[in-house]
Amino acid sequence: MADTSIKDFEAAIAELESIVKKLEEGDLALEQSLELYERGVQLSRFCHARLEQAERRIEILNERGELKPAPASLTSEDPGR
Amino acid sequence: MADLFDLPFEEDDSDARSNPPEPPAARRQVFSVTHLTIRIRDLLEEQIGQVWVEGELSNCRVWNTGHLYFTLKDEQSQLRGFMFKSALRYLRFKPVDGTCVVARGRLSVYEPKGEYQLVCEHLEPQGLGALQLAFDQLKKQLQAEGLFDESRKRPLPALPRKIGIVTSLEGAAIRDIIKVLRRRYANAHLVICPARVQGADAAPEIARGLRQIGRVPGVDVVIVGRGGGSIEDLWAFNEEMVARAICRVPVPVISAVGHETDVTIADFVADVRAPTPSAAAELVVSRKDEFCGRIDRLHDRLRSAARGRIQTLSRRVHVAGSRPAFAAFPARLAMRGRHAADLTHVLARALRNGLAARARRLQVLERQLATFDAGRRLGGLRARLVAAETRLNATINRQHDRAAARMRTVLGRLESLSPLAVLGRGYAVAWNADRTRILRDATSVAEGDRVRVTLASGELDCEVRSTTE
Repeated sequence: MADTSIKDFEAAIAELESIVKKLEEGDLALEQSLELYERGVQLSRFCHARLEQAERRIEILNERGELKPAPASLTSEDPGR
Repeated sequence: MADLFDLPFEEDDSDARSNPPEPPAARRQVFSVTHLTIRIRDLLEEQIGQVWVEGELSNCRVWNTGHLYFTLKDEQSQLRGFMFKSALRYLRFKPVDGTCVVARGRLSVYEPKGEYQLVCEHLEPQGLGALQLAFDQLKKQLQAEGLFDESRKRPLPALPRKIGIVTSLEGAAIRDIIKVLRRRYANAHLVICPARVQGADAAPEIARGLRQIGRVPGVDVVIVGRGGGSIEDLWAFNEEMVARAICRVPVPVISAVGHETDVTIADFVADVRAPTPSAAAELVVSRKDEFCGRIDRLHDRLRSAARGRIQTLSRRVHVAGSRPAFAAFPARLAMRGRHAADLTHVLARALRNGLAARARRLQVLERQLATFDAGRRLGGLRARLVAAETRLNATINRQHDRAAARMRTVLGRLESLSPLAVLGRGYAVAWNADRTRILRDATSVAEGDRVRVTLASGELDCEVRSTTE
């Protein structure tokens, strides 16, 4: 949906910043204020999504450029010293 | 002439005369030049063999064959030297004129020219360590090329999608990095390219790792490094090929080599230098912390800005309601009761509809947020964001309700100015017989016409007895 209008996390933050600024400065109509607010909510939803997007995953890149899951020993809290 | 006889030349001459006669030609041992040269060569190679010799380098020149030619000299003497390309490769500094060196090699003879020379196997600078010299030389060169320039440094991504790591799987560094990332950014996605970080193969492996990891889709920041060790252990990170590989990575690179006090060439070319591998992990994550604070602050501002807007607008409606134009309304209403009633109705409907539409939109937004939140539970970070948003929405809603209430008050006033209310104060409205028209003009009715009169309570059915203009 409208999320395609958001380029990336940094762009979302930048736009959110400009919206806040506009709301703070501009003598806007109620209608427009609400539109901006709506967009602000949309942007913050996008940020939420991005925060979750990165998966808790560790991969090993081998010499042939293939990605394999990391051995469990690497991720265990105690390396068994 | 006696002086002349004292000269060595004359002496030789006289010696020759006093010497016994030369042996006959048949008994002479005559060498060919080559034969003699070979004998000299054998003599030098066997008698002197491997030597260490110190001196100052001059006339250094690498031929296009890749071999190095040089002269080693001190105050009185010179020695020609030669070094094969294969041996040159292992030097950790660049031999340049004026460097005082200790050379290890074998004496040999170059037969075509009848010259003896040192076939050098190893060179090391005197005084300054070879490694230090190599470090200084490479640093100077890369700096001259502009590879350390601040303008080349790229900012780290706000929130990395995938974090690339080039290091050894066996070392402490990778465990430190994983531990820190797990603690501070639980859902981090790591892509590790294993590379030896010590020994002769380390530099090419690290360089290869950097090339590969830069091509993995989604990797938007790379950490390259290893744990602490001696200067020799860390040496790969002072190699030119590693430095150049770092420069060519298409995304920002964080160097994390050894301890705080270890500074390598990699640190100078990297976009960010982390003092340790753990610190590199913290650098990546602290960016995220920073962002969460920023989002929180933005939410606060969005909320109060939106609230401010709505308050201002509500106030305006309020003020409009108490303007003189409105205050003078009753009198005019008496004249134009029906119109005013219509107007009031239209105004009220418009305001109510507008408010209702906005209230619906807020509800939709809230529902969207609710379904969005209904999914997975998040860590403290996301919870903070959700709390900020909920707060924001609640406030907006409350403000909106308040604005709506104020508008209702204004509408209430308008209602109080409606014809019915006016009638309560003693006015009456006169209609034509079928109650389709308000009578405004006495000439519009004739004697005997029936008219209806609306009072505050009830209606009268009347007959016109006479009219007066």
